[in-house]
Amino acid sequence: MRDFLRAGSFKVLMIAVVVLVGLLIYTASAGGSLVASLLGFVSTPMQSVATEVTDNVTEFLDLDAFTKDELKSLVAALQEENNLLQDKLVDYAEAQQENQRLKEQLKISIEAPENEMRSASVIGRDPNDPFFGFSIGVGTLSGVNVGDPVITSRGLVGVVAQAYPTTSKVNCLLSEEVKVAAVSIDRQESGLVSCSITMASSGLLRMNYLPSDSQIVPGDIITTSGVSGAFPPKLKIGQVQSVEKSETDVSRYAVIKPFEDLSSVKEVQVIVSFPGKGEEEATIVPSLESDGEEDPE
Amino acid sequence: MRDLNRLIRYLAYTLELLVLFMLQETPGLLPEIYGARPVLVMPAAVTIAMLEEEVPAMAFGILAGLFCDFGYSGVLGFHALVLGVLCFIVSLMVQAYMQVNMVTAFLTGIWTLALTISAQWLFFYYFRFSEPNYAFLHHYLPKYLYTLLFVPLIHLLNRGLSQSLGTAEK
Repeated sequence: MRDFLRAGSFKVLMIAVVVLVGLLIYTASAGGSLVASLLGFVSTPMQSVATEVTDNVTEFLDLDAFTKDELKSLVAALQEENNLLQDKLVDYAEAQQENQRLKEQLKISIEAPENEMRSASVIGRDPNDPFFGFSIGVGTLSGVNVGDPVITSRGLVGVVAQAYPTTSKVNCLLSEEVKVAAVSIDRQESGLVSCSITMASSGLLRMNYLPSDSQIVPGDIITTSGVSGAFPPKLKIGQVQSVEKSETDVSRYAVIKPFEDLSSVKEVQVIVSFPGKGEEEATIVPSLESDGEEDPE
Repeated sequence: MRDLNRLIRYLAYTLELLVLFMLQETPGLLPEIYGARPVLVMPAAVTIAMLEEEVPAMAFGILAGLFCDFGYSGVLGFHALVLGVLCFIVSLMVQAYMQVNMVTAFLTGIWTLALTISAQWLFFYYFRFSEPNYAFLHHYLPKYLYTLLFVPLIHLLNRGLSQSLGTAEK
């Protein structure tokens, strides 16, 4: 044992442990590091390529909906198309994707011209994240910062949790860490949209702090209220599926089905600037909470 | 020649970890089982550790851990620390007490992955979020079992690399 403790390899282990503990404390407090940025620079291009290839193969293999004749004609058409586009295939695919992204951005921009956005592809989903968080291929070099809302044309999908130069990590709306001040546009009732792992596994959200005499009914549409300054107002979130009584107090909560399939979103827009951004530092303080009630979560 | 082989082998391990990281991160590539996807770099680090001396084993454990840290939370160091220490211990155990074969690789995978994923659950979930038991049963346990399935495959890959590029130093 004494020999082992004196051995060079044990000293190397101890040095590595000290360095890694230091790195852990530094990145936990500073929120980013040179090492993370370097890893991002190395992995981002490869992740983008791998994701693109997978998407194309998946699309190609999804042939269940076709009949035999349709498949034959599809093969013939594809062969013909392949001959025509052989030289231009790579550029064509890239241009098509870019076009789709820009169309999406334009569609959202027309709806909310006051918001400044960056389009991005989902380049990675880590298997360690139980809340379906994902990585996108834009970062601080494109103006993306921590806390920026991430949306699609169907509505809000998450918020940027970590921003590196060329890539960012997004906390999905299904994460317990994301809480959104929301309002029912039909009833003008406010609440706080959040999630737990049980609801996340069903792909559902929960709108808390509704009054006991809440008028919200299934089918009502929920949007962001914009009161916290963290999200622009009127971003779609989802549709009420049911309204239940809270387990811990007299309030009620609504179960919300998001408009977007949050576990498989592929193309997103990051809102890097919007009117009223960060005006209120504090997050929403619901009336029940201010009265001293505890969070039912 | 021996040093050149070692260098090439280390480069091959590094490239392997990078490729496995890409595979595990790519959405839709590996099918989900009970909502879980495998963490491929973990068994890769452990099986490399079985074939290398303790310091290189630790280094590859740290590299694999850094990939995990980068992919998951962005807080670097946790997985690197856990995998670095575990790979160091695994390498010493193999040198002192064990043979390297499919059975010992799988048995080593069982306890090392259990420790790593349990530590992940404890530090990244238990202390931060609600309903830890549900998370353990429905996310961490399926992920552990799914990842365990890849241990034999990755062991074969690494053993092939090791044999073709020589581990004569041992």
